[in-house]
Amino acid sequence: METLINTPLAGEILDEIIEKHRGKPGMLLTTLEEAQEKNPLKYLPGETLVEVSGKLNIPYTQVYSVATFYSYFNLTPQGKHTVVVCRGTACHTKGSKGLLDDVTALLGIRRDVDGADSSFTTSDNLFTVRTVACFGQCAQSPVVEVDGVIHSNVNAQKLLKIMSRIKNGKTEKK
Amino acid sequence: MEVRINNQTVQAAEGSTILQACRMAGIHVPTLCYLKDVSQNASCGVCVVEVKGARSLLRSCITKVAEGMEIFTDSSRAMEARKINVELLLANHPQECLICDRNGNCELQQLTFTLGISSRRFDRTRKERYVKDDSSLSLVRDPEKCILCGRCVAVCSDMQQVKAIDFTGRGLKTRISTFLDEGLGFVACTNCGQCALVCPTGAITEKSAVGDVRKALQDPGKVVLVQTAPAVRVGIGEAMGMPYGSLVTGQMVAGLRRLGFSKVFDTDFAADLTIVEEGNELLRRINNGGILPMITSCSPGWIKFIEHFYPEQLGHLSTCKSPQQMFGAVAKTYYAEKTGIDPRKIVVVSVMPCTAKKYEARRPEMVGAFQYWKNKMNLSEEERFFDVDYALTTRELARMFRESGIEFTQLPEEEYDNPLGESSGAGVIFGSTGGVMEAALRTAYELYTGKPPEDIDFYAVRGLDGIREADINLNGTIIKVAVAHTLKNAAILLDQIRDGTSPYTFIEVMTCPGGCLGGGGQPIPTNAEIREKRAASIYLEDKHKTNRKSHKNPEILSLYEEFLMEPLGEKSHHLLHTYYVERG
Repeated sequence: METLINTPLAGEILDEIIEKHRGKPGMLLTTLEEAQEKNPLKYLPGETLVEVSGKLNIPYTQVYSVATFYSYFNLTPQGKHTVVVCRGTACHTKGSKGLLDDVTALLGIRRDVDGADSSFTTSDNLFTVRTVACFGQCAQSPVVEVDGVIHSNVNAQKLLKIMSRIKNGKTEKK
Repeated sequence: MEVRINNQTVQAAEGSTILQACRMAGIHVPTLCYLKDVSQNASCGVCVVEVKGARSLLRSCITKVAEGMEIFTDSSRAMEARKINVELLLANHPQECLICDRNGNCELQQLTFTLGISSRRFDRTRKERYVKDDSSLSLVRDPEKCILCGRCVAVCSDMQQVKAIDFTGRGLKTRISTFLDEGLGFVACTNCGQCALVCPTGAITEKSAVGDVRKALQDPGKVVLVQTAPAVRVGIGEAMGMPYGSLVTGQMVAGLRRLGFSKVFDTDFAADLTIVEEGNELLRRINNGGILPMITSCSPGWIKFIEHFYPEQLGHLSTCKSPQQMFGAVAKTYYAEKTGIDPRKIVVVSVMPCTAKKYEARRPEMVGAFQYWKNKMNLSEEERFFDVDYALTTRELARMFRESGIEFTQLPEEEYDNPLGESSGAGVIFGSTGGVMEAALRTAYELYTGKPPEDIDFYAVRGLDGIREADINLNGTIIKVAVAHTLKNAAILLDQIRDGTSPYTFIEVMTCPGGCLGGGGQPIPTNAEIREKRAASIYLEDKHKTNRKSHKNPEILSLYEEFLMEPLGEKSHHLLHTYYVERG
């Protein structure tokens, strides 16, 4: 399996992003958003936050405060593929806890049951498993999002099928 | 306007909050996150009141009164809600009151008692256990004890413009932290300690040196000298149960002797020394076209602020060390020589109203005495010692008095030891905002014009306004001076310098509101009214001094005659002056 290496966003790309958003309302949010999108590992490394803070002249702590407030922002490298299991009430009653257990077991992720973390990335940086409070798709619960595609009425078999497709190198159709 | 509170008709000022109206009417509404002049982010929900016609309970700290409003502060609904809100805070707050630094002086503890909460109703909800942040030399943060009231964030960003800490995370994971959780010791924190002063619980405290000081006091091979900063004498009494602003110089000296210090000296003496050096430095800059305005350098929080945020302006800082550091350097050279004590045996302890002094004492360049003795005594690098060994806050000294069972209020008044204990009134007023300026003017005026000022009281630079300025007439030459306290106000003056619009020749900056008397190491509570009382006591002590000018202090004169030779001379350069670091 290929292993990805941590890479902060190249300086010139980040500069371009910062200049694009400078002075616009909500510039910090949009800058961080694009910086994360353009990062090969879909996250905001400390170096990027330092750059954004310095160049937009926004205090470090404020940048960090915003980056940690929104669950959208990742401060750790994300896997190449992302699996998001809904842990909202409807999905929970339809067994989403089991799905979360299955997918982490499948990927060999050790998950501390009492831990506060809600995001797990495999050591080879290929998969990240996350939970959300609700997708707003309760009628089709339980739902699992894989690489941006929402799968409804998921059960263990279905999940296994999706995962093996990805492992075999197939991309999800959007 | 007229409102009704608890069925009484009371007058309330237009635009005031319900809380203000209640306080005006003498009705007590408990608060927790609210702190006058500091924060009112309405996060705790303790000040809720019931208002007739309103669907929900209202937070009295942010809700404005309206004509004819009917307010109930003690309805069962309001009281029940208040209680639940505190009980919810207690769910995640460690039950370690007995062994907490703030035991007996904790607002959460007091509130729990006042509201009659007698059991722990809710279980802990937070899974993670936070570790203490003790990376700073001055402060320790224990996020486990934090109740997220936001007062520390408010002082750090609004009063000090430092923004070293902020809320991070969300929901159950919300906590106060530094950038990337790096710890206070690794970020642009000025160590001012205002956060510790406003914290309602024990979540932010000074890094205690009490243990180290006790160890030194018990070591027969050490000579332990203590120096007391000007503002401690108007604060320590409060911590020992006396009225706010009590002036207790003599009792404090007596208490320190009882604790076992070999000699009790006064930082005010070193303040006089600072003035002689700084006054001469100012005149030299004026006469030789040096960098102006010159800015005072006594306040270590301020030094770190300018090093971090305005490094290009470091040339404006006076090169004088602060009185604490001058004292340490002189004690371990001049005093050691005079008394024949091996400087390696001397332990200098300072009692400061300040948390940043702990950091200042550990700045690597603060080893003037070691450098002085290095060649003379053939010392190795391993024997390197700091000029000041330990800095205690006023609060820590109070703790030592309590631990040692010293009945502070019963102590007789005693005098400082000599020869580093004599001070002028000018040294005393260092403890208040405007004091260093006034002290410097008393000396600089005389040095420049050759005659004493007509009025020794420079009232224009006194007071508690954020920035004050005055024109000083030096024999026809008018110089403009300014005084600023809190770093937000200092930044305004620095911006003027940056923009080339600063009209001043000399500027005094103090990190904390009110100057050192409102320092981050002072007794809790410290607020505007208390600061005013402490300031009054400081100026009272000045007024009663027979000598009120630094350059007339006989001990300072002997120090120059016997040892330093002249202000800004060779020895002064090595022992009393310093350099700064661009931190960015």
